[in-house]
Amino acid sequence: MSRHTARVSRIGLVVIGLILLLGAGAVLARALAASTSVLGSSSAPLLTHSQVQYPTQHSWVWPVTAAVCAVIALLALWWMAAQTSTKTVRRLPLEPDHVHGRTTLPADAVTGALTDELESHPTIRGADAALRGSSAKPGLRLAVTAENRADPAALRRWIETEAIPNMRTALEVETIPTVMRLQFSRAFDRHLS
Amino acid sequence: MSETAGQHGETLVLPPRGEPPRPARAAAWSQPGPRRKARQVFRPRRTIPGVLVAAVLAVAGILGCIWAASAALSHALWKVPHSDLAGPLQSSVHWADTGTLAVASAVAFVGFLLILIALLPGRTRAIPMASGDSSVVIGVPRRSLRRSLSWLVADVPGIDKATVRTGRHSVRVRATTRLRDTSGLREKVHSVVAERLVALDPLWPMQIKVRLRRKKG
Repeated sequence: MSRHTARVSRIGLVVIGLILLLGAGAVLARALAASTSVLGSSSAPLLTHSQVQYPTQHSWVWPVTAAVCAVIALLALWWMAAQTSTKTVRRLPLEPDHVHGRTTLPADAVTGALTDELESHPTIRGADAALRGSSAKPGLRLAVTAENRADPAALRRWIETEAIPNMRTALEVETIPTVMRLQFSRAFDRHLS
Repeated sequence: MSETAGQHGETLVLPPRGEPPRPARAAAWSQPGPRRKARQVFRPRRTIPGVLVAAVLAVAGILGCIWAASAALSHALWKVPHSDLAGPLQSSVHWADTGTLAVASAVAFVGFLLILIALLPGRTRAIPMASGDSSVVIGVPRRSLRRSLSWLVADVPGIDKATVRTGRHSVRVRATTRLRDTSGLREKVHSVVAERLVALDPLWPMQIKVRLRRKKG
């Protein structure tokens, strides 16, 4: 769900931001001689000769650096995947009876029926539906494009009282958390296309 | 049915003929629960900065890994002068140099920016609308609302062009007209926008500001 990916993005950004801020803050503190006793002299060179020679004298430095870089790259890739995952539900369990086999329903069938119903409405030009989250507790994402001249209140009421309840009946659930984006397009676009 | 009209200030909206009257939904304005929920749903996810930072990190990690591995193998695929790289840094650059300060300040600024991006809630991407069902969250994307309102305003007789901007709690309309006599035109534009907003029923009241400009010719 989007709230989950939002949390993943925001927490990651805070962590990276803090690392950058603290690291750069420490460099600035040393450069400005804020605490010479702890951080060292500000007039010293950035890298001493012994520091530059360290990797050539210790063979473990480069393999460890490579391993650390690999871990950073893997974590970054995992973070990227976690942020972009949509968690689309593909199959829905209808009867959670594991003894006598399971009945599943393709999510496409449910969302397809819903979009067909929505698009049959005279003022709706396009509809898109997807089930997100876990298959046990899916959430519905709806994007509806309506004609600009249509009465949005009547349209919304029709969706709330007809289309979504019909889908709930099909899914045999009491409620389904739904996020609907209502968009508008110009009325004459349809005659042009 | 008194509930069909006069709920939002002076704007009067009549339901289309043959349809049942609108339920009194404006009561949702006083409920913080749906507002908070809708704000959370439509708050920016910060996916773009997050993915960008992740991509930079991944590239840096992969390059660093290749560099360190080639240095460790010493007869590497990719010849990196790792011992020379730090050469210019070791004697000439000092902690108190302007360059060091500038780079550290820039990095600190980027870090601060990332924290701000992460912690600021941001403007909602869509304007949440009242919903008759607590499990349904409805929003109109700002861009769509802007276009929708500008089309509506442009259809007002006498209006040439209209641009709409949406603020946090406001809608600002700039319309141009060629008419000499603009009396009542501003009010007309205002009422068209107000009527649409009432029909959409946003979860918080939206202030409408209309600026009319007269174009010569």
